[in-house]
Amino acid sequence: MVGRQGRVTGKIGPGLVGEVMVPIRGGVEAFYAHPTLPDEEIPVGTIIVVVDYSPPRTVYVARAIV
Amino acid sequence: MTTTELAIWAGGVVVLLIVIILLFKAVWRIAEPNEALIISGLGAHTRNELADSLGFKIITGKGAAVLPGFQTARRLRLDSRATNLQVNCVTQQGIPVQVRGVIIYKVGDDFVSIANAARRFLDQQDSMNGAIHELFTGHLRSIIGNLTVEDLILNRERLTGETRSSAADEMSKLGLVVDSLQIQEIDDETGYILNLGKPHAARVAASARIAEAQRDQEATEAEQVAAAKKAGAVRESQIQQAGYQAEIDQAAAKSRQAGPLSEATARQEVVVQETRAAELEAQLAEQRLQSQVRKPADARAYETVTLSQAERDARIAQAEAEARETELRAVAQASQVKQAAAAEAESVRLRAEAAGAASRATGEGEAAAAQARGLAEAEAARARGLAEAEAAKAKGLAEAESIRARAQALAENQEAVIAQQLAENWPAIVEAGSKAFGNIDHMVVLNGAQGVEELLAKALTLGGTGLGLARSLLSGATPPSLNGTEPPAGKPLDVN
Repeated sequence: MVGRQGRVTGKIGPGLVGEVMVPIRGGVEAFYAHPTLPDEEIPVGTIIVVVDYSPPRTVYVARAIV
Repeated sequence: MTTTELAIWAGGVVVLLIVIILLFKAVWRIAEPNEALIISGLGAHTRNELADSLGFKIITGKGAAVLPGFQTARRLRLDSRATNLQVNCVTQQGIPVQVRGVIIYKVGDDFVSIANAARRFLDQQDSMNGAIHELFTGHLRSIIGNLTVEDLILNRERLTGETRSSAADEMSKLGLVVDSLQIQEIDDETGYILNLGKPHAARVAASARIAEAQRDQEATEAEQVAAAKKAGAVRESQIQQAGYQAEIDQAAAKSRQAGPLSEATARQEVVVQETRAAELEAQLAEQRLQSQVRKPADARAYETVTLSQAERDARIAQAEAEARETELRAVAQASQVKQAAAAEAESVRLRAEAAGAASRATGEGEAAAAQARGLAEAEAARARGLAEAEAAKAKGLAEAESIRARAQALAENQEAVIAQQLAENWPAIVEAGSKAFGNIDHMVVLNGAQGVEELLAKALTLGGTGLGLARSLLSGATPPSLNGTEPPAGKPLDVN
């Protein structure tokens, strides 16, 4: 799970619960997302990389440097 | 080995195979793609370290052997589920709304979610909808309380964000994932949403009306311009048609009048020539009359007038002489008679006076005397009457004589007198007579001098003015002395 790339579908920011779509288990699933850096804001459509996974449905993400 | 033994062996194998298949089917369980197989019981340990502590095994997408009597297998459906929500709540602005929505959720696909959901809903999967409904009713109320009506309608991102913020943790506890939350309908009792759209609707309606009115105005203007041009074209056409028709009528009338006109012109020329010929004939006749009638007539008239004047002069002279003679003779006779009468009257008077004096002298009072006196007076009166009668008779005789003489003279010399009077007043007579001819422009006398005389005489006798003048001349020209004198008023004889 950690290290996978995904796409932001709900805005990620401090005080918000964002959403990312991450391909996993042969499909694509939506996960609740929070920024790795506490003050970072990641708009919708940004490619991210999963930095940490908190079961069952929460990931911490950072901008993927493409 | 006989065939019988072979058949027994074969039947035993078949039976064994059937038993083995039945046994395998009883033991082997397969998880469908949309479900998870939860196996619990003897030796049910999964390699997933997160779920092993609970002592059950989660199988997805493959088969697993379940030992009957020692293990049990339960299926947890991973399908999407939907539940309807209906919430009466207020928005952030305090506007009461009634929201109908639908939430679509499923059990999460990871083992943690499946384990959480299995422990909560495995035996009550059908009541999962009710629990989710109760859960999300509250969540939706709080979500709408954080939103405005405009956000609710327009800002989908905000709605999903609020949904995640509100429900993420609890859904994680339940092992569920919200796929979608949709607001189906918002009942707005206060009309807020309706009013929200009114300005724009009014603006659009206004612009639509403005555009419609402008286009209508332009169309009307264009129509009117076109109508005016059409009317102008019709007018021009009708004017031209009328002009052409007038020319046609004029030409037709001319052609119709050409025949009569030429005929009239020809007749006019004929009449002119006839008139000219008639004038010439009239001039010819006039000249002929002038030369053949008038000149001889003038000559004869002049001759007659001259002869008549000479005869008249002679008659006048004769008549004057006779009249003078008669007058003188009458005067002499009258004088003679008068003197005789005067002498007789004087003698009577003297005799009467003498008788009167004698009577007076004889005295008074006696009847004889009175009788004598009466007789004397009667005698005197008779004598006086006789004397007066004599005198009157003598005077009357003288006057009668005079009248007779004058009448005789007039009878004898009437023509001469009349001629004389006519000669004296000839110019006035001729003037009056010529008035009868004043209205005659050109008189042609066809009978010469005799004709002139007859004409003149007729004019004098018939013409009112001429006759009246002649009569007045005749009456005025005769002196009253010739008609006799009025007898003098009887002188009263003073007989005493």
